Order: sequence, then C-alpha cells, then structure tokens
Amino acid sequence: MTSLKQDEYYDLIRGVNWTPKYVPEEEIFPEEMSGSRGIPMAQWEAFDEPYKVTYGDYVQTQREKDAGVYSVKAGLERANYVKTADPGWVSTLQAHYGALAVAEYAAATAEARMARFSKAPGNRVVATFGMLDEMRHGQLQLFFSHEHTRLSRQWDWAHKALYTNEWAAIAARHMFDDMMFTRDAISTAIMLTFAFETGFTNMQFLGLSADAAEAGDHTFSNLISSIQTDESRHAQQGGAILKVMVDNGKIDDAQHMIDVIFWRTWKLFSVLTGPIMDYYTPLEHRKQSFKEFMEEWIIGQFVRQLDDLGLKKPWYWDTFVADLDQAHHAIHVGVWFYRPTVWWNPAAGASPEERAWLEQKYPGWNTTFGRTWDVITDNIVRGRLNMTLPETLPLLCNMSNVPIVGTPGDKWNTKDYPLVYEGRLYHFGSPIDRWCFEQEPERYKGHMNFIDRVLAGLVQPPDMAGALAYMGLAPGEMGEDAHDYAWAAAYQRKAAE
Amino acid sequence: MSSAPEVLKPLKTWSHLADRRKRPSEYEIVTVNLHYRNRDPNIPWELDPDIPMNKWYRKYCNESPLKHPDWDSFRDPDELIYRTYNLLQDGQEAYVRGLLDQFSDRGHDQTIAPDWLPVLARLYAPVRFPVHIVQMVSCYIGQIAPASTITSCANFQAADGLRWLTHTAYRTAELAKTHPAAGFGKNERQLWEEDPAWQGFRALMEHVLVAWDWAEAFVALNLVVKPALEECVLGVLGEQARRHNDTLYGLLSQAQMRDAERHRRWAGALIDMAQSQEGNRALIDGWIAKWQPMADRAIEAYCAALPEAGAAELVKTRVAAAQAAMVQYR
Ligand SMILES: [Fe+2]
Ligand SMILES: [Fe+2]
Repeated sequence: MTSLKQDEYYDLIRGVNWTPKYVPEEEIFPEEMSGSRGIPMAQWEAFDEPYKVTYGDYVQTQREKDAGVYSVKAGLERANYVKTADPGWVSTLQAHYGALAVAEYAAATAEARMARFSKAPGNRVVATFGMLDEMRHGQLQLFFSHEHTRLSRQWDWAHKALYTNEWAAIAARHMFDDMMFTRDAISTAIMLTFAFETGFTNMQFLGLSADAAEAGDHTFSNLISSIQTDESRHAQQGGAILKVMVDNGKIDDAQHMIDVIFWRTWKLFSVLTGPIMDYYTPLEHRKQSFKEFMEEWIIGQFVRQLDDLGLKKPWYWDTFVADLDQAHHAIHVGVWFYRPTVWWNPAAGASPEERAWLEQKYPGWNTTFGRTWDVITDNIVRGRLNMTLPETLPLLCNMSNVPIVGTPGDKWNTKDYPLVYEGRLYHFGSPIDRWCFEQEPERYKGHMNFIDRVLAGLVQPPDMAGALAYMGLAPGEMGEDAHDYAWAAAYQRKAAE
Repeated sequence: MSSAPEVLKPLKTWSHLADRRKRPSEYEIVTVNLHYRNRDPNIPWELDPDIPMNKWYRKYCNESPLKHPDWDSFRDPDELIYRTYNLLQDGQEAYVRGLLDQFSDRGHDQTIAPDWLPVLARLYAPVRFPVHIVQMVSCYIGQIAPASTITSCANFQAADGLRWLTHTAYRTAELAKTHPAAGFGKNERQLWEEDPAWQGFRALMEHVLVAWDWAEAFVALNLVVKPALEECVLGVLGEQARRHNDTLYGLLSQAQMRDAERHRRWAGALIDMAQSQEGNRALIDGWIAKWQPMADRAIEAYCAALPEAGAAELVKTRVAAAQAAMVQYR
C-alpha cells in the first residue's frame, strides 16, 4: 500500500487560516468569543498538539473503544452488579452520574466554542474531535445509568439533576458554566482543557475507576477509564494554547486564569469526589484516600505540567494543600446531615473500622471531624434521629455555592469571609473564594445562591419543606442514610454493654 | 396537616420520557433534553444574568424570530448517536481509504491529463477553506441551537466538514508528490483569497460566519450555502472529473455527497417542524431570499472557471431542487 503518512498531510488539514476580507476579522472572531488578546492570527498558527489524530483514525479508534465498553456492559448485564452492590457504592454512582452525565454532553458546547472561535486553526481541528468526545461521554453515561431507573427514583437524577434547583446542582452549574460555557475560546482552552482536564479529570475518571475495579464494578470502571483516554487526548489543547500565550507575552493572563479556576475546581471536587472516595466507597475497596489521589494527580503530575510551561503553582498553594485535610471531611458531614437535600443516599462512613482508616489517612481526624461524628453517633444510639436531621438552612458561599464549613473540635476555624459590593452583602467560605469574586465581580454579582433565593422569597414556605419542594426533591428521591444506620450498630452494642 | 406525601415510584425510563406510550429508543434516551441551559430562558447560564454570554444566548437562541413552543421535540430522521455515527463513518472511511490506496497503487496521479491538473489545483485543492468554514459554522449552530437533538445533528455535520477537509488535504499532498511544480499544497490560501473563481464563495462564507441568530445561521448554511457549495465542488466538479478520466475524484466526491444528503434530511425535518408554526414559513423564505443572490454569485464565479460550460445553470437548478425538497420535506 502507498498510503500517505499522517505527517505528510496533517499540516494541510490545520493550514486553514485565511485573511478575512468581506467581513472584518474582528467581526468573524469577536473578542468576547475568541479571546485572542491582541495576539495576531498568524501567531496562533503555532498551536501544536503533541499527539495527533486524523478523522479516519478517530472514527476507527472510537468505534473500537465503544465496542469495548458496550460489550463489557452487555456481558455483565445479567450479573446486575448495581442491584446487589453496597449502598454506598450505589450512592457514588448516583452522585457521579447526576453531576456529570448531562454536563459532559454540554461540554461539547465548550469544545464547539473553540472549534468555531479559536484563531488557532489546529485548535479548531482538535476541538472538533473534543466536541465529539464530549457527546460520547454524555451519551455513554446516560445510557449506562438509564438501565437502573427501574431500581429507584433517585436514578432519574442521572438525567434530571442539572435541570433542577437542588443546591449541589446549582453549585455544579455555577462552576461548570463559569469554566466551560461563558468564556471566550482561549479562556476555555486554558480553564477547561488545561486546569480541569489535565489535572482533575484524572481524579474522577482514573481514581474512581480504580475504586470501581476494586469494588468489582467492571462495567463502570471500564466506562470511565475509557472516557479518560479521550480526556487526555483533547486536554492537550490547553498546553498548546498556553504555549502560544507564553510565547506572546501573555503568561500573566494565563496564570491568572489558572489560579481562578483551579480553586473553583478544587471546591467542586471536594464536594463531589472527596466524600465518595473516603466515605461512600466500601472500606475494603478503597484503593487510596482522596488525599493520596490528589497528591498523585494534582500535587505530583499537574504541578510538573505547570513547571514545564513556565507557570507557577497558584498563589494560595499552601492553603490548598492544607485544605486537603479539611474541605471534603467538612462537606461530607454537611451533606450527610442535610441528606434529604441530595438525590443520593449519603453513606456516613463512620463505623469504628472506617474511623480507624480515616485516622490513619488523616492523622487528627478523630479529634476534629470525629467529634462531630461522636455527637451524631450518640444521637443515633439514643434513638434521637430527629437531632441528626436539619431544620434550618446553612450559610452558603456566594462563589462555591456550598455550605461555609471548616474544621470542628479543637481546631474550630469555620468563618465567613464577607464582602460588600455595590451595596450587596456577599458571603464566602474562604478568602480565596472571595478573591475569585473580586477578580471579575461582573460575572458573579447578580447571581443568587440558594439562601439568597430563600431570602428573596422564591422559596415558599421559607422552611425545609419549601426548600425541598423548590429543589424538586420528593420522597423517593431525597437522600437517606445509605445503610439505614447499620454502621452505628457497633456503637449501640457498646452502649448496651 | 395533610397526609404524608406519596413516595415516588421508580420508572422504566427518564421521567421526561415516561409519559409517552412508546418505549424510548436508545437515540431518545441519550439525545433528548440535554441542554440544561433551557431550564430558565432568562438566565441560560448560572452566573450573573447580564454577563455577555447570557445576553448572547438570550438574543441569538431564546429570542430568535423563528419560534416553536417545543424545539426539544425535534428528532433526527437518521437518529444518529455518537456510537452509530462512528460505526457509519468508520465504514465510509474504510471505503475511501480503499479508493485512495487502490488508485495510488495504479499510479492514478501520473495519468491525470495536463488540462485537468490545473483545474484540480485551482478549483479542488482550495476546497479545504470553504469546507472548514462549513465545519466552523456547524459548530456555531451546535453550540447555539435550542435543542440537544438539533445540536447533535449540527455537531455531526461539523465533523463531516472536517472529514471533507481531511480528504482534500490528503489528496492535495498526494498530488503535490506527483506534480511538485503544480502548486499543490502551496497556493491554496492565495487562490482562496485572490482567485476570482473563489471570491463569491469567500464572500458568502465570511458572511455566514457572522449570521449569529441560530435559525438564520441554520437556514443560510443548510438551505443555501451548503447546497451551493456541494453542488459545485462535489456535484459538477466530480462529474467533470469523471469525464476527464479523474475517476478517483468522481468517486470521492460521491462518497462525500452521502454526508451532504444526510445533512439535507435533518435540515428538511427541522424546516418541516418549524413550518408547523404560523409565520415561520415567511421567515424562512425571507432568509432564503436574502442569502440566495450571494450564493448565486458564488456559483457563477466558480462555475465560470470550470472547463465545461453550463455548469452554473445546472448547479442553480439542483440547489433549487434541494431547497424545495427540504422545504417540502414530508
Ligand atoms: Fe468528557
Ligand atoms: Fe473533556
């Protein structure tokens, strides 16, 4: 055969910049959509992603990958893993699908933004594949979760969550919309494909895949690790765009975007990924702790990638590292306590064995978060379940949209970081959340978090029942303790002795 | 006090598909109702209501003059999902790879007639640019469309644009190897920017890039611009290629035309759906009338450069027929 090699024609595929004449360049590539920051068209042509695919390779490889994950699913369908899985694992799946399946389909819009508006022709080519990839991720995860709708109404949230005003869904939308859908092509490349996909998606799609394999959920493990192979391919766009930015004197802009979105991503993962890895996943199937995964993928790999591009760690790095011992533990207590307000059944993960594991992975856990669980456990042992359920609403951060939390016990540090902007009082869970707001107040100032909506009279009646109705949660959907408090049995026996 | 509320029972499918009598297809399960930005038409994105992107989506999507109470009820007549798109196109690519290899092994490019070679250099190789713009505009329609079922069609259409771009790049590189002095792989940008044969299409395509209203962009691209371009560079150019013994391009252009036919099917289905609402037909006709003269000039300029006379009339007749088929879809 005398087929051409890829490098003999690849430059012609991406050699498609031209000089507009009949319509001005700045109209075809409006700055608000393109974000070229004064870097001329020709400079963007230097965009070069290390791993290249052509259309023919793409459809072939992707067809084969899909054949793989669908056949694993079909092969294991009869075994019906989910039906007999530990309830904590089921909650992991429900939280994951609800927050991500529809968001991944939406991510095709972010890729399409780059494919249409980037002035780098190579970016427009790669992003077209990225756009297809995200359709794949949305569609696969909807198809794989759909078969469980017969098991409980909570599975409906795999599709429905992001259409609701449930608080975690608002938090996810606020972050995703900020990162993926409301910025110019270049910001999207840096924030989504570099900061988020190069770093954090490994956590969700490889870390959780490892746990899934341990748990015996091979369908899910296979599915999400296959997704990550696409992520790592289209994530290359971020580095390639950053290189152009750095070479054209825009390193400070790039650093700033990374600093903002890295923190926002961290906060979302501390809600979504932290609790499922350290509390919901059955103890015997936990491959590593959330912190260990973060150390491997973020502190190790991602920082190396920043270094390679001449970029720095975000300015608040020490606070971030310290937060690895705190944020998700605190959020987990909050989510468990407010369990009727989420679409999955939070697993407490606070049995004696699990607490021993937590103390080992997070020395000092027992004297901080453990104390909160002591009180909760004591109430359960004494049959005072009502005291483990919420009656009032928590204070929410105007950036992360999640409860303002901190470390309980001796190291009590929960604090609101307020800001008055144009006469309105905002609350933030950390100085960094407040800093994010201050960078671009126009993006955020008119948004109302859940509590703002209660105060504005949108939630009626303004109590827990009204809040649940506003969030779209009915009995059958609202979360309960995943194990029906079985984890507290050992404490009950001890109390009886 | 009211009695305890009923506990919701599990469903056989998503709640948004549950009250239909028909069991939903795989296509519906994974394609329908996925734009969560439709949740609140006033604030598509969960940030300040007046950030530029919220204004953009309100203006160019939610407040488009083309109205329908339920765009999410649109269905792709081909019901393509990601999985089946790759199945379909991997098969098509295997066919094209076979063509390319077979003709290359037979030394096809050495046998190209001296009078046909400059036609390929001038009127075929620069096709990379307009099909790339088809890709770009389709990506725009995908990101701004009011329903995920429309977005999916537009996104696959964008990918097909990249497919055509890739074939053209491949052939250009191949021709450059055999005919290094003919300018292949070197002159296309200049031809696209300066050759009178291309200026009609260049003007047309630059304008369609800034048709920001989602529905106007769709009508302009799918009913006017694409048919005009396809009937020129896949249609008559492919036919003239065959008559000049360039059998390879004759077959390659036909293979690409299969994609275009699929695009016309979904476009027809969407036009059909839009026309069920009063006022939309006039709006669509108005957009066609607005864009067609520019497309006609593009067709005339391009066809005037073809070796065989009379191509422009042929293309215009075919474009009109394609439009009529889409407008009277059923
Ligand atoms: Fe993805
Ligand atoms: Fe991605």
